[in-house]
Amino acid sequence: MVKQGLIFAAAALLAAPALAADQVSLVSEVFVEKVVVAPNGRASTLLKQPDVVMPGDNLVFVVKYRNQGAQSARNFILTNPMPNAVAFREAAGEGALFSVDGGKSWGRLGELKVQGSDRRLRSARPDDVTHVRWAFRQPLPAGASGKVTFRGTVR
Amino acid sequence: MTNMMRKLAGPSALVIASMWAMPAMAAGTAAGSTITNTATVNYQVGTVAQTAINASNNITVDRRVTLTVVQLGTSTTSVSPGQTQAATTFTVTNTSNATLDLGLTAANLATSTAAPNGGGNDAFDVGAFTYYIDDGDNVFDAGDTLVTHLDEVAADAARVVHVVASIPAGATNGQKAAVSLTAQAKEGGTAGTEGAVVTATAGANTAGMDTVLADTAGSDDAATDGRHSARDDYTVAAPVLTVTKISRVIQDPINGTTNPKMIPGATVEYCITVANAAAGATASSVVITDSLPTQTTYVSAFGVFEGGTVAGAVCSGGTATGTFASPTVTGNLGTVAAGATETVYFRVTIN
Repeated sequence: MVKQGLIFAAAALLAAPALAADQVSLVSEVFVEKVVVAPNGRASTLLKQPDVVMPGDNLVFVVKYRNQGAQSARNFILTNPMPNAVAFREAAGEGALFSVDGGKSWGRLGELKVQGSDRRLRSARPDDVTHVRWAFRQPLPAGASGKVTFRGTVR
Repeated sequence: MTNMMRKLAGPSALVIASMWAMPAMAAGTAAGSTITNTATVNYQVGTVAQTAINASNNITVDRRVTLTVVQLGTSTTSVSPGQTQAATTFTVTNTSNATLDLGLTAANLATSTAAPNGGGNDAFDVGAFTYYIDDGDNVFDAGDTLVTHLDEVAADAARVVHVVASIPAGATNGQKAAVSLTAQAKEGGTAGTEGAVVTATAGANTAGMDTVLADTAGSDDAATDGRHSARDDYTVAAPVLTVTKISRVIQDPINGTTNPKMIPGATVEYCITVANAAAGATASSVVITDSLPTQTTYVSAFGVFEGGTVAGAVCSGGTATGTFASPTVTGNLGTVAAGATETVYFRVTIN
């Protein structure tokens, strides 16, 4: 807490008028997918709180953002490194950028290459992803909110 | 993006299943580990970069207890009646994401249970079981280690276990004994000590590490009971010996060798044949002893022939290496292979 306070104080000295601490709120949630088979044999997938999580379980990560300030947020970039124990599977929707090298370079998944076990470059697969990122082209207006979603599997 | 999620969560459950089909995943992330996911937002207000905002959450990976027992190989163990250390062999694997002790319990299956390797049904029970960890050659031998349980088996580690039992002396050729081996998950943590039985976390889920029994049903246990089992069988391979004794008159003092009769002073040849049935095992150390009737006298000049053959009730061949110590004739046939017939023959005179 003390440390955080100091950072804000220093930043306020440098750029007093435009800096508004925590103008954007961010909430990260995770759910575990459970396939439930009804008595009539129909399987349905439910999202549950991650109370019981085991290797092989599919996780759905939801990151909610909200611009709670009075001004629009520009160059809005949301970055989520993949936890080591989670293999990335897919990001919902278009527009996500991926990194397979720890966040050094970014691109669409089909354009990225990684070095395979035979030391030759191959196309990156979802479980090669180390970071996923959404870079918003348009400023996020004051009061606007949204969420991004991606899936992974517990290794 | 919401659209896509809706699509995925909709009626096409099968599609999801195939999309999410994972490679065979055994142990995976260790039980109790925490997965922390952190999202970061960078942005500007006007032209001024703002302090990055972070949000994170933690989930704890629970303990998934699964294990497998499979028979090593698909062939029966050939045993002989009275064998004291006959082994069936299994591979026991801890596929949980935590280190476990594994309890071992072998059992005789009920009579008439189909032998797992085929060829018949269970017909007898073997004696008390002991368990040995294999020394790496997958063969039960002197290098293997006697154990009471499998101690501290790491996630994804396997042990080759020999289940050793004695075969009753009364077992007969071709009989089968079917056995099962059940391994049970027990708490690891203390080397050299068999831990308590692992139980699923009761009641409501906790945010900490829970235990879930996720094992499948084996041959002799139910699913999600913390156990797994498999079957193997023994088959008795015993020689099936048939012994017959025939005699013929060689000569008498009146007729000589032409149509000799069984009168006092006549010479009689006794021939003992030992036939080992084709389906059985090789018989070894076969010794024939015959106590002579008091009305006869052993002909030492002829001797005792061992290892000969028989054709049309006439024995021949072999070597005269048998012995006589009154009143007993002894002939040593050594090994009699399955399907073979060997003879011991000698001569006496009638008093």
